[in-house]
Amino acid sequence: MSSLITLQNISKVYGSGNTEVKALWDVNLSINKGDYCSIMGPSGSGKSTAMNVIGCLDRPTHGHYFFDDQDVALLNDDTLAAIRNRKIGFVFQQFHLLPQLSALDNVALPMVYGGIPTAERRQRAANALQQVGLGNRLTNKPSQLSGGQQQRVAIARAIVNRPLLLLADEPTGALDTTTTEEVMKIFDELNRGGITVVMVTHEPAVAKLTKRIVWFRDGEVVNAHMSPDNIGYGTLVE
Amino acid sequence: MPTLQMDFRESLKMAVKTLTASKLRSSLTMLGIIIGNASVISMVGLGEGGRRYISEQIQSLGPNILFIVPGNRETRELGGLEITRNLVLADAEAIAEQVPSVVDVAAENTTPGLINFRNRNANASVIGTNPAFLSVRNFTTDQGRFISELDMQRTSAVAILGNSLAERLFEEQVPLGQSLRINNVTFEVVGVLAVQGSNLGVNYDDAVMIPITTQASRIVGRTSPYGIQVGFISATARDAESLQTAEFQITNLLRLRHGITRPEEDDFFIQNQDTLLTIADTITSALTLMLAAIASISLLVGGIGIMNIMLVSVRERTQEIGLRKAIGASQQDILIQFLIEAIILSAAGGIIGTLLGVGGIGLLSLLTPFESSASISVIVMAVGVSGSIGLFFGVIPARQAAKLDPIVALRSI
Repeated sequence: MSSLITLQNISKVYGSGNTEVKALWDVNLSINKGDYCSIMGPSGSGKSTAMNVIGCLDRPTHGHYFFDDQDVALLNDDTLAAIRNRKIGFVFQQFHLLPQLSALDNVALPMVYGGIPTAERRQRAANALQQVGLGNRLTNKPSQLSGGQQQRVAIARAIVNRPLLLLADEPTGALDTTTTEEVMKIFDELNRGGITVVMVTHEPAVAKLTKRIVWFRDGEVVNAHMSPDNIGYGTLVE
Repeated sequence: MPTLQMDFRESLKMAVKTLTASKLRSSLTMLGIIIGNASVISMVGLGEGGRRYISEQIQSLGPNILFIVPGNRETRELGGLEITRNLVLADAEAIAEQVPSVVDVAAENTTPGLINFRNRNANASVIGTNPAFLSVRNFTTDQGRFISELDMQRTSAVAILGNSLAERLFEEQVPLGQSLRINNVTFEVVGVLAVQGSNLGVNYDDAVMIPITTQASRIVGRTSPYGIQVGFISATARDAESLQTAEFQITNLLRLRHGITRPEEDDFFIQNQDTLLTIADTITSALTLMLAAIASISLLVGGIGIMNIMLVSVRERTQEIGLRKAIGASQQDILIQFLIEAIILSAAGGIIGTLLGVGGIGLLSLLTPFESSASISVIVMAVGVSGSIGLFFGVIPARQAAKLDPIVALRSI
């Protein structure tokens, strides 16, 4: 299987001298196309920074990052924005839906920036909402939806441009157990459909549902191929 | 991969959606521009109306009239306050007798007066003049007669009332033949003027005319050794062609009479319709400009208000901006989105303000004697300016939004 994400000696350093903070230090990581992987680690372990680099929201201080065989570290802001638009779908803990837009318009938003014509946008946004089981909620505003429904709208928005990578940052952090299961089922389905899924999570129960766990500590990858079977409820304490 | 670019119509739709989502804030933001634009348009309209009104008044004097005014032209035009009173009745008589291109000459001298008729009294201008006044100023009497040569010689105590003054004092009674007192001197009413309207700041309808000789001896109570002083002299030339000749001849005659050898020593100057129009134009233009400048300040304040709200809006919508960037908005997309919001606010405010301004002009036309009107050029300019104000004051907030780091923006809660 070919590699979608390759981090080569990636470091992210903030500040300099005495105040230097190594958020990431010499990280080597490879994630294949079709992988379903969770990133775990204690707070401050660098998993969020890794996530930002992987999501092309941030550039590493050192090292090379190949995303879909392209060295992302060399690209300018607008090209990164275009890559995020076309190839990456984001799901956030706080959903980040725009309150003044309907579910349909929220889902269609990435296509607005992708320059896709209105009719096609509506069609594809409706399909994406259908896919996450909200085909009957197209015109609802986020305030008229439950937390689980809002997160599903956010997932529909993330997949509407048919990305290679679905990147989720604590996607179930604001959800209860039932809706967490619903959302994880959607991720599972999407992954089976061929989308690479990478999520940062604190919850062992959620990480257990992925195929592979990458463990971070102090800005370094401690274990890049931990099996979800080896994780229990006590693991997080470590 | 090429940089993506959102099309303009989408940005516009998005901006309208955002702005209509918070209607109260949007309208309050627009208010500054609305008021600014309304005041610019109505003030300029008022100024223009005033200019037209004054021009019409000057033109109603007729093309052949000349005004001889005491004082030096230079010091007058430099705004000097020194008003010399060195024109005398004899000057007016000399012009009438000796200048062939002149038909009629009137002298006018105005003093304030308290008028009593029985138990009624009124404050009014007492204008001392001579019989030629009627023909020079193209006035007519409504009842009775005007001042005669005999009145002048005898310094008769006769008065001709302005139309509204007569009404005020006598109401239903016939004024002719009645006695009234001007500054405690008894006069007999011999005539009432027809309605003349206000003319160059003097309301003849609310004044009383008496022989200038009578005024000098009985009201002013003193006569200078040089003769009876007059406020100004008005003269009509035979026709429009002889206007320049008349001006030249009058100048020469007065210089001779006043013993002036060098033109810069002139203690009088002559104005015709053209010079009056020029002077009035200069004054009203300056006035219009001043009104517009004051009103522009409110437009400026409105623009600053837009910038203020947009800055707050960028702060509040940090997460939104972060999200938009995360899902693929370029810096330019964000910049344009916020700029368009600012421009829509100011342009919409500009259009509403223009409508209010045009309405305000309509109201001013009813309340003032000026036929105020909104000129198309001012409207186009005001709307254009307010749109540019949005662009100008929108740049700073929009740049701030565009430069936001998506990671930081997304994290801020």
